[in-house]
Amino acid sequence: MLVIVVEAAPPRLRGRLAVWLLEVHAGVYVGDLSVKVREMIWQQVVAGIEDGSAVMAWSTNTEQGYDFTTIGKNRRVPLELDGVKLVSFLPATGGGSTGVITDEGEEDGIGCGSFDAPE
Amino acid sequence: MLPPLKPIAIKERISLLFLEKGELDVLDGAFVLVDKNGVRTQIPVGSVACLMLEPGTRVSHAAVVLAARVGCLLAWVGEAGVRLYAAGQPGGARSDRLLYQAKLALDEEARLKVVRKMYEIRFQGPVPSHYSVMQLRGMEGARVRELYVQLARKYGFEWKGRNYDSSSWGSGDLPNRCLSSATACLYGICEAAVLAAGYAPAIGFVHSGKPLSFVYDVADLFKFDTVVPVAFRVAAANPFDPERAVRLACRDSFRETRLLRRIIPTIEEVLKAGGIPIPEPPDDALKPAIPEERGLSDAGHRG
Repeated sequence: MLVIVVEAAPPRLRGRLAVWLLEVHAGVYVGDLSVKVREMIWQQVVAGIEDGSAVMAWSTNTEQGYDFTTIGKNRRVPLELDGVKLVSFLPATGGGSTGVITDEGEEDGIGCGSFDAPE
Repeated sequence: MLPPLKPIAIKERISLLFLEKGELDVLDGAFVLVDKNGVRTQIPVGSVACLMLEPGTRVSHAAVVLAARVGCLLAWVGEAGVRLYAAGQPGGARSDRLLYQAKLALDEEARLKVVRKMYEIRFQGPVPSHYSVMQLRGMEGARVRELYVQLARKYGFEWKGRNYDSSSWGSGDLPNRCLSSATACLYGICEAAVLAAGYAPAIGFVHSGKPLSFVYDVADLFKFDTVVPVAFRVAAANPFDPERAVRLACRDSFRETRLLRRIIPTIEEVLKAGGIPIPEPPDDALKPAIPEERGLSDAGHRG
């Protein structure tokens, strides 16, 4: 199982992903592909994401049963704890130009800023 | 309204997570670790068998409530994951299983049958029927020492015997420290499984007199095909951060041996060897006013 979620991605990348995967919801793509194809698709995401952000999750043979990788600015960053991957949600730095801090904040472009993200 | 929370079975969970430095709390109904910079990390507490809380963690009341409700054991551990205290009872400690376990432990004949079964599992074969428990213990001691020596030889280091001083962590040699870390991981998930299945950690058969006697009994059934080879392999590689390496290797070994699937069935197999049926409630006992719903989880879990 493979899931890719893109945010603020250019339409050409979204169209490209739909070549191999099924867009089951806006920006949410699912499929069941080999490691090689998955890596090829991720290269396409990396090449085409521009200012957007994306995450890819897939089933794998670890205790957790899945793994994921991300690209682009996001307040959610992967955190590894002794072989289990979790996600840390960084606090708003307050430096956003919009002056509005929503709970989520991803769409506001409030990025990591000067905050020191853990590894 | 969301439906109420229920625990899921131990076999479907991740074995362990070690958490350090931060405040465990509940935000929007999720279990989160908040560090001093305000970074929030959601912990999928319902999908973890046991959370090991290292020095530097604080836990709110709401967090403990949530952990209990989804059946995750919280264990407070010290340096290198060696247990200090434990709390949080993920199982419901149902009385029927407790009475069954107590009956087996108090009936001398049944207890011996359980002990013998435990040694049979460890020896992977029948044990001489005329041997006393003392003799079995002697056999087991010799087997264990031999296994340590063999494993040390396999990984190419000298084994000077199992010794550790729990009050002074740095005192043991690297293989002993790795072994202590690895067994602590195994004790954590064994305690979670014992509680999830509805038994009492203190009522042991081979071990006795400790709060975790039964946990040590259960862990010993798996120790030499899971954590001991792992600890020795890590010790031989002499990594920069041995504790982390041990935990990573233990996680792999728990997955490869499908340990979480095996613990509860093994506990049941061992207790069944006692030859006593699970006691029925007495005729004059009152039934619960609100009947128990069948949950998704192991039989002992509070639903």
